[in-house]
Amino acid sequence: MGYTITEKILARAAGLPAVKAGDEVMAKPDYVLAYDFPGYTDVYFKQMKEEFGIDKVAEPERFGIFIDHMVPVATPKEEELHQGTRAWCAENGVELFERRGIGHQVAAEVGYATPGAFVVHFDGHISQLGTFGTLGIGMRRNVLEAFVREKVSIKVPHTVRVNLHGELQKGVMARDVFHHMVRVLGPASCRFQVLELGGPGIETLTTEGIQSITCLAMFTGAVTAIVNPDKERLDYALPRARKKLEPVYSDADAEYAAVHDIDLSDLEPIVVVPPTPANTRNLSEYLGLDVQTGYLGSCASGRLEDMEIAARILEGRQVKTGFMLHVIPTSQEIMAEAARRGYVSTLVEAGAFVSSSSCDYCFGRIATMTEGQRAVSTGTLNVKGRMGSPDSEIYLCNAATVAASAIEGQIADPRKYL
Amino acid sequence: MPLENLKGRVAFIFEEDDFDVDQIVGVKNIKIQDVDELAALAMSSYDPGFAKSVKPGDVIVGGHNFGYGHPHYPPMKALRHLGITGVIAESFSPGYWRGEISMGFPQASCPGIRGLVERWDDVEIDWNAGVIRNLTKGTELPFEPLAKADALMLEAGGLVPYLKQTPAS
Repeated sequence: MGYTITEKILARAAGLPAVKAGDEVMAKPDYVLAYDFPGYTDVYFKQMKEEFGIDKVAEPERFGIFIDHMVPVATPKEEELHQGTRAWCAENGVELFERRGIGHQVAAEVGYATPGAFVVHFDGHISQLGTFGTLGIGMRRNVLEAFVREKVSIKVPHTVRVNLHGELQKGVMARDVFHHMVRVLGPASCRFQVLELGGPGIETLTTEGIQSITCLAMFTGAVTAIVNPDKERLDYALPRARKKLEPVYSDADAEYAAVHDIDLSDLEPIVVVPPTPANTRNLSEYLGLDVQTGYLGSCASGRLEDMEIAARILEGRQVKTGFMLHVIPTSQEIMAEAARRGYVSTLVEAGAFVSSSSCDYCFGRIATMTEGQRAVSTGTLNVKGRMGSPDSEIYLCNAATVAASAIEGQIADPRKYL
Repeated sequence: MPLENLKGRVAFIFEEDDFDVDQIVGVKNIKIQDVDELAALAMSSYDPGFAKSVKPGDVIVGGHNFGYGHPHYPPMKALRHLGITGVIAESFSPGYWRGEISMGFPQASCPGIRGLVERWDDVEIDWNAGVIRNLTKGTELPFEPLAKADALMLEAGGLVPYLKQTPAS
């Protein structure tokens, strides 16, 4: 029996000739990433010193810290948190990425998405580095282990393989593929396992689209998602890579816990209705529902193809009076390119509020909804209170649907505008 | 120190799968830091008399994929404050699982648990034998063994003592 890409990455990280799913190993992360957030990084920095007597992290070049939440700050206390983070990074010689965009995207731009690398973070959306054949695992508080020791304890996960076939139809986007997977495989289908994407259909998706899918892996119960990187993904990742590693791939006879096939050409746009990411429905069932606000952004969506399709839909049209459309590119690099391509001016002229990159819209820190309001959103999550009042509602959907709904002030089918 | 067996009553059974633990205190209360205040609110939408009827040592039972969604720490802090010593569920969502194990809060994944117990039955989690016993009915079911690191973390009482006590590799 052969090995999965995950087993190969963890074997190298553990310094072992081979590991198999189920083995408990100590593995050295190639990179340790985190964004500053109260109760997380400030606590790790304090615990490192006070509990473990460690003044500086070993091998600071393995660490990367992002300031992407609370950007810009709204209170002196938030600024104090950022100051603490800046000071820690300076003392430790750790690279800080501030105001560059949402860290999970910036991580790919600046080379942490090294094919074959093992990356840890506290936040599970780091799974999106899997687009490039990088094993990115969100450990929650346990990431402290990576701040105070060289290696982290990990049980080598089993893998569920999903083969994609065919091609998406007009108005259907990559994140619909993810929501469809939750629908047909179930929200617990990949619990504690890795979601490995493959099949001929994956090559019909863009890198950005695959990032959308791998970003959301946790809502199938997966600990991460990964792709065996093809030429297009390697062409992006290898020139940026921070270290030289040989990309690895699953063997043809690798052992999978389950194998599923999904035909992309069958899919319609999907809406995920509140209050859980498990509530996936066809968009057609919810057309006409009044919505007051729209969010196009997040680490899942908000990349160039999302901007492009929104701009195409809104070109020469107007956001409905009273509707609040927020468009927040996932990173500043994406923002600049969207501006060069004219998407930003098109969106602004159509009535969108376009802001620099920040995580803050996704969790309701700004553009906060009040009781009774409804959003269409490309954010990551639709649980109660995620974007404001627990009595507001979030309908997750693709970027095209957000744009179409902004025109009508109700959930709308983007396909008629394309 | 080996993990002590837990003995107590089933203080509540969450029948639904994919249970979002934030509901325990209510999403609007999720940012409350004060544990007394949280504990006073806990479970009020499920059983207003919960805080009064629960006794130290009691456990909670859940369905499949317990902890799905975007779990925060305050709900379980509140339950621990009320005396709840662990959760037994059909299965757990990994993010929730990791978070609570790192707090040193025992969890046992036991397929079939909802059929094994009724509310207020006396149960025992026997870590060594790997079974959940219904002491009221005299029945038992095996649970899934803990990963070594998880067991050590629970024995140590959470992530920080675990990291202090166990060798680095």
